[in-house]
Amino acid sequence: MRRYLRLLALQLRMSVALGAQYRWDFLTQGALSMVWTVLGLVPLYVALHGRPAVAGWTYEQALVVVGWFTVLKGVLDGAVNPSLILVVEHIRKGTLDFVLMKPADAQFLVSTARFEPWRAIDLVAGVAILVWAFRLMGSLPSAGGMALSVALLTVAIAVLYSTWIVVVAAAFWVVRLDNLSYLMSSLFDFGRWPVSIFRGAVRLFFTFVVPIALMTTYPAEALLGRLAPTTAWLGMAGALVFALGGRFIFTQAIGRYTSASS
Amino acid sequence: MNDRGQGIDVAGLQKDYRVHRRTSGLASTLRSVFRRTYETVTAVRDLSFHIEPGERVGFLGPNGAGKTTTLKTLSGLLHPTAGRVSVAGHEPRLREHRFLKRITLVMGQKQQLLWDLPPVDTFSQNRAIYDIARPAFDATLKELDDLLGIGAIAEKPTRQLSLGERMKCELAAALLHRPDVLFLDEPTIGLDVSMQLAVRDFIRAYNERTGATTLLTSHYMDDVAALCPRVIVIDKGRLRYDGSLSKLVEKIRPDKSIVLRYAHRPDRAALERLGTVTECEEAKAVVRVARPDLREAVAHLLLDPALSDLTIEDPPLEEVLRDLFAQSATEST
Amino acid sequence: MKAALSAYPTLLRIGFAAAVAYRTEMLVWMLTMTMPFVSLALWSAVSATAPVGRFDQKSFVAYFLATIVVRQLSGSWVVWEIIQEIKSGTLSSRLLKPIHPLIAYSADNLAATPLRVLFALPLALIGLASGGAVLPHEPRTIAAFLLSLFGAWVITFFVMVIVGSLSFFMESSMSVFDIWLALFMLLSGYLVPLELFPSWVRSLAEALPFRYTLGFPVEVLIGMSDDAAIVRGLAIQFAYGIGAAIVALALWRAGVRRFGAFGG
Repeated sequence: MRRYLRLLALQLRMSVALGAQYRWDFLTQGALSMVWTVLGLVPLYVALHGRPAVAGWTYEQALVVVGWFTVLKGVLDGAVNPSLILVVEHIRKGTLDFVLMKPADAQFLVSTARFEPWRAIDLVAGVAILVWAFRLMGSLPSAGGMALSVALLTVAIAVLYSTWIVVVAAAFWVVRLDNLSYLMSSLFDFGRWPVSIFRGAVRLFFTFVVPIALMTTYPAEALLGRLAPTTAWLGMAGALVFALGGRFIFTQAIGRYTSASS
Repeated sequence: MNDRGQGIDVAGLQKDYRVHRRTSGLASTLRSVFRRTYETVTAVRDLSFHIEPGERVGFLGPNGAGKTTTLKTLSGLLHPTAGRVSVAGHEPRLREHRFLKRITLVMGQKQQLLWDLPPVDTFSQNRAIYDIARPAFDATLKELDDLLGIGAIAEKPTRQLSLGERMKCELAAALLHRPDVLFLDEPTIGLDVSMQLAVRDFIRAYNERTGATTLLTSHYMDDVAALCPRVIVIDKGRLRYDGSLSKLVEKIRPDKSIVLRYAHRPDRAALERLGTVTECEEAKAVVRVARPDLREAVAHLLLDPALSDLTIEDPPLEEVLRDLFAQSATEST
Repeated sequence: MKAALSAYPTLLRIGFAAAVAYRTEMLVWMLTMTMPFVSLALWSAVSATAPVGRFDQKSFVAYFLATIVVRQLSGSWVVWEIIQEIKSGTLSSRLLKPIHPLIAYSADNLAATPLRVLFALPLALIGLASGGAVLPHEPRTIAAFLLSLFGAWVITFFVMVIVGSLSFFMESSMSVFDIWLALFMLLSGYLVPLELFPSWVRSLAEALPFRYTLGFPVEVLIGMSDDAAIVRGLAIQFAYGIGAAIVALALWRAGVRRFGAFGG
């Protein structure tokens, strides 16, 4: 276990070194990150600011969802997507073999291969939005609420990661998956608003099939103190099942992997 | 602790691939969306051999013969469809960590070095992944540095290095954990002549110094001739020959070429009495003579006062192999 | 020039074949354009009880679906192509051909249109069925729409060429394009119908080119523009289109010269 922690630290250091190589990119990407975050707030502001609550959410409350969304987006773009793109590249060039030859867990190596450290700005921005939202509401979340929302956030990251694993496993079969990271990001965009904004089948889809609601709305509701405990527990249990399933699928995929000929 | 006594054992190895076949054209494309036709291609069939620890063995064969497939099966990247494989006492396809720490795979056309960072960073990464203690790591690195002559290039980003420099660093990265078994897949491909020689010398020196079992595939006959006392020839997935290279040459092309240089135009008719004349021009002639007749032929040729130079050469390996494969082609028809 | 014109049909044909070969990629790319749906979800919920401006729920559906349709039909990806070819050096082989690269790129782009019409059709029909749109039925409005669509493409294409050409001069102009994209999202009506912004934002948007790559054709399509506005819009579009084309050609030429000097 300690060995893997050391390896993780090493991989992080590598990614930072890589970022330092392309300093200009580092800065511009960081700045653009901020721009996109602010941009995402504009529709919400125009739609909800100074208006009565929509689907049970006021502007300030919806901001909490956006805050969590921003935090998770930072994790997605900074930790999940970069390694996904790298894996697809490895498969295409046939260099995944080298990863498989290493005496370390393939899933671990593959998922820690690349990070984008400037996405930490998204994390900071997300937290800033949360702070701002509560300031606008003139209240503070309860300690229990905060603990629960952090727990749910961890669950959300686990679900995100497991989805990624399944997608990568698919890449073993269908090599031309350049767009996959874009697809994941686009789907993830639906987590921007509270899930009750969606109606009917769409809402069910985003709660159970691609549990985006779980990732952003639930932590927000926990922070706002309006999440039913049973929902929280169900969510966590579901995430655990998802994570285990993901691991199983990945090991199967590795087992059947046939590297590109010669 | 030396339990690498088992070497490499392969018995009845078979590897099949399922390949999706589709002809071009819109109709076929559409059909393939709904129903795909698969073909089973057998890349390796009924392959068996045993390699003792510390041996240097070359895999020869035309493209698509199954050399790389065999190498990948031995390193655990591919699962055999049938047959038994054992490397250093382990079953490769289980990919146990203990097994992986004892082997290494170098692929000439691909690299494990991180592209945008200097090789030293890949070295550090491997040190952590292979759990190499610091003093051992430093010692091995120094030894590899001395043998390969890396020096300062390891501190430049990989993408700025030349192909030869990259290969040197690639070899270093692959050997940091002092593996007992080396799988080398076309390690000298694309390198210039001096670099090829350097790599060859290194591989030989490494094998002699550490006793690591070395398996090499290459298209360059010179690699194999220089490095591998024993060759395994694979063609169309089957074993064609397993033994020493010199015996293979003797068996397939039991003749030698005598290269002659004269002061004047050589007498073709006279030469034809001694053997097959493959070249006869201005001041040079080449005669192929069967080994048993070699002595007599040379003695005869030396009598000619106009002779200025005489060299005896083995047939080129390319020709030997070509004849070997031609043989096997006629055998199978 | 004449040679280029006579070669164009062939280029279009080949471009179409390539588009068909890459149809899966194209479909996936289409699927990644989920932002209008995300926006729609929000605005739908907001307008459930009362209209926002002159948009009721049905109009929002029509608006955002029209957004996707317009973006599909007038979109381009040439900025990625150019940057990739400059970085990898493959632009050299393109420059050796006796046809202007921009003509080749444009043929590639336009050739994919039939396929994209096919992909966009279901959405268009759904938008139609929603009943929130007043589709143009007079010939002159239809003509105006088609013109505005073409104008949108012209601006998009040449702006992308401009940004791509910057890669001749700087490390990677992808970040410049990201900035353009961010402004586009905001000021073209992609994220929010321009009408719903405060008036100063609206005036700004009407002066800038972004609106004319998306918002304007959309408004024409769903019947939110009167004749006078249409004419004015087309004129501004035309101006921006020509301006972008002139700058693009000049910048491209300068860039190619530099490329030749430093090798590829």
